[in-house]
Amino acid sequence: MKALLAVLLLCAGLFSSVPWAEEVLQFDNDAQRDLYQQLTAELRCPQCQNQNIADSHAVVAVDMREKTYQLIREGKDRQQVLDYMINRYGDFVHYLPPVNRYTLWLWLLPLLMLLGLIAVGVFRRAQQSKQVPQDIAGNTAAELDQLIARYRSKK
Amino acid sequence: MRKVLFYVPLLAFLALALFLLSGLFSDPRERESASLNKALPNFALADLMQPNTIWTPEKLKGEVFLLNVWGTWCPTCNAELGYLSELRQQGVKIVGLYYELPRDPAFDPPFDLAVLQQEVQQKLQQQGDPYQFNMLDLTRSVSLDLGVSGAPETFIVDADGIVRAHHIGDINPAVWRSKLAPLYQQWSSQ
Repeated sequence: MKALLAVLLLCAGLFSSVPWAEEVLQFDNDAQRDLYQQLTAELRCPQCQNQNIADSHAVVAVDMREKTYQLIREGKDRQQVLDYMINRYGDFVHYLPPVNRYTLWLWLLPLLMLLGLIAVGVFRRAQQSKQVPQDIAGNTAAELDQLIARYRSKK
Repeated sequence: MRKVLFYVPLLAFLALALFLLSGLFSDPRERESASLNKALPNFALADLMQPNTIWTPEKLKGEVFLLNVWGTWCPTCNAELGYLSELRQQGVKIVGLYYELPRDPAFDPPFDLAVLQQEVQQKLQQQGDPYQFNMLDLTRSVSLDLGVSGAPETFIVDADGIVRAHHIGDINPAVWRSKLAPLYQQWSSQ
């Protein structure tokens, strides 16, 4: 039993140390490192859908990480790196889409739905408050007496 | 008014269902390429077979051609070599951009041009050789500038060196007929 456990532990050690030995990147300062981490998390891998380039092992993601690193080391700021990538891979490559005539609906639609709901609510309220006084005005005391008399007579 | 309102949820549901249904048949990889209608990026790449020849966008101008991104490591690229060779026989000029894989210094042997040349030659003998010539993109920097996300990908470049089409995936008779041939003819006739 102990031997088996030892073997298992040995295997676990093997597997944990071998795969994806990430390259160690050198940065001039912490701001650059933060920017690199932020950008690789925000840039989307064009090859594997729904992965950012920090997560992906696709060749193109590796190349984009390398390019991002290179551009940051050259002193490029966040927007310059984003522009560089968007220029080559389109708006698709950034997880924050720009506002244009196609994406405007993403922001506009929830707002319109909310306004629609409020409009419906207000409309129904108005209808209800209109109906109530009418009913009371229509059913005069005499009519009510009649109704009460009818129900009594049924007994 | 009441009757109309009664059907609103049903109609809303149908609209949503149709929208989602159309999503089932759409290709999530299909998107407009950022390299369309732009000139080829600046590059100076060595010819794969004759490394002394350096290709630049300027040298490629003058004739419409297909720029095919490929590698011997990529099964889909190998599968399309046969059909691309047919296209070459029909007079389509095809230039290869060889997409070399990155090397892990810990596991892979260092890059050896002679070995790669031999591999490529063997592959082209087996499957057919559609290429006028191949340019070696060793660091994939030109591919990155072109917005290549993997192999195979194919660009139609016009006589002025401007990218007119970007196709992701293999070229087969159906794709050629429906998507690329019309564009190729359009830009050839201009």
